[in-house]
Amino acid sequence: MKTIIVLGVVALIAVFIISQYNRLIRLNITVDEAWAQIEVQLKRRADLIPNLVETVKGYAKHEQSTFDAVVTARAKATTATTVADTAAADGMLTQALRGLLAVAEAYPDLKASTNFLSLQEELATTENKVAFSRQFYNDNVRELNTAVKTIPSSFFAGFAKVSEREFYEVEDPQDRKAPGVTF
Amino acid sequence: MNFRTMQAANRRKTIGLLVGMGVLMWCVVYAALTYFGGSGAGIVPIAVGIALISVWGSYYGSDKLVLTMTGAKLIQESDNPKLFDLIQEVIIASGLPMPKVAIVIDSAPNAFATGRNPEHALIAFTTGILDAMDRDQLQGVIAHEMAHVANRDTLVSAVAATTAGAIAIVSDMLTRMMFFGGRRDREGGGNPIALVISLVILILAPLAAMMLRSAISRKRESLADATAVSFTRNPAGLRSALEVLASDSTVVQQRSTAVAHIWIESPLDSKSVSKLFSTHPPIAERIAVLKSMESLG
Repeated sequence: MKTIIVLGVVALIAVFIISQYNRLIRLNITVDEAWAQIEVQLKRRADLIPNLVETVKGYAKHEQSTFDAVVTARAKATTATTVADTAAADGMLTQALRGLLAVAEAYPDLKASTNFLSLQEELATTENKVAFSRQFYNDNVRELNTAVKTIPSSFFAGFAKVSEREFYEVEDPQDRKAPGVTF
Repeated sequence: MNFRTMQAANRRKTIGLLVGMGVLMWCVVYAALTYFGGSGAGIVPIAVGIALISVWGSYYGSDKLVLTMTGAKLIQESDNPKLFDLIQEVIIASGLPMPKVAIVIDSAPNAFATGRNPEHALIAFTTGILDAMDRDQLQGVIAHEMAHVANRDTLVSAVAATTAGAIAIVSDMLTRMMFFGGRRDREGGGNPIALVISLVILILAPLAAMMLRSAISRKRESLADATAVSFTRNPAGLRSALEVLASDSTVVQQRSTAVAHIWIESPLDSKSVSKLFSTHPPIAERIAVLKSMESLG
């Protein structure tokens, strides 16, 4: 009888340890996946830009500074590797693109062209996808960091080789999709 | 209230209601035992069996079944790239797998989600809703439907339907038996008060089960609204989508009560369904809740 109880307690402890360990690993993998999703969407947006700039140039030749801003921001965004660098370049590019679309407002012919309209829709959805992948990443980082810092999962963080991850913070006062406050 | 506390509250209430459903089932079994003894209780497993078979078959094949019941047609990305763009946005925000997408040719604006798990999810839109809504509104609607998928509402409503169905079958069979005089101890008498109570339970139980089932459905709708906001962080989109639905008086042609609960807006005329049996919370109430979330910023 005694041995059964001891075995039962040992089994329960084992299940507990395994579930804590697996949870940390799972959270860490989800953050990796979320990061990969951000990169996919940023790449998608970067691929869209040359076409967009060419289209706008066709109608608005005298807005060279705006084009330069977009091209510089795009170059920075495609070379960034760390979370902080990517986030900073992403924010810059978002601003630059907004500037480009604002320029387009002044050219009715451009705004009416079908090419521009379809590009605009594609840019809108890509901007949303970038914003949502950011939000999904940050939500998962928040969950992981909470698990790494709170008892009991914090006891297993070292063993699972899981540590806190960096938030993806874009400096953009206009961005409603990434609220600065935590709930 | 922000969406996190909303989600927690609605989850808690669902569990409370499901427990209530269990208690009701227990009351019915008690009544059956008091009134008929062993032969009455023997009906319970049969009723549960019938309910299980009828509900779980449709739960397992819900994506295909609902397609035929509502006349929805599956579409590919090339058929409506803009809609698929919006769905992919919500997919990225929620981390869910891509669902199957279908269109119902109907001018009434409405949408629904079904499928036994996120991997077999299906979301459908009427042509009316695609025409009537702008980008943000449609995004809110898609987020609401994907919220149903994330919260596994097909499973929750299948559980509710099974219990309610079993209770209805048991009560129905036992009330019939009463008329044919199947009581166990005709001479013995038994406690008359207990007999009266069990009789009342058997008569009222199906009604109570239906009310509980509707209440669960309403809680899941509120939960889906809150979860949708957790996906898009934009309560204004869904709020203005609901305003469009509220101001629109056309209803979906197909008005089967069997699938009424799956639409975003109840397809049944609200005047014909009293509040207790309604599958959806009043649309004005849902708009008010979303407005309160907007003010949180």
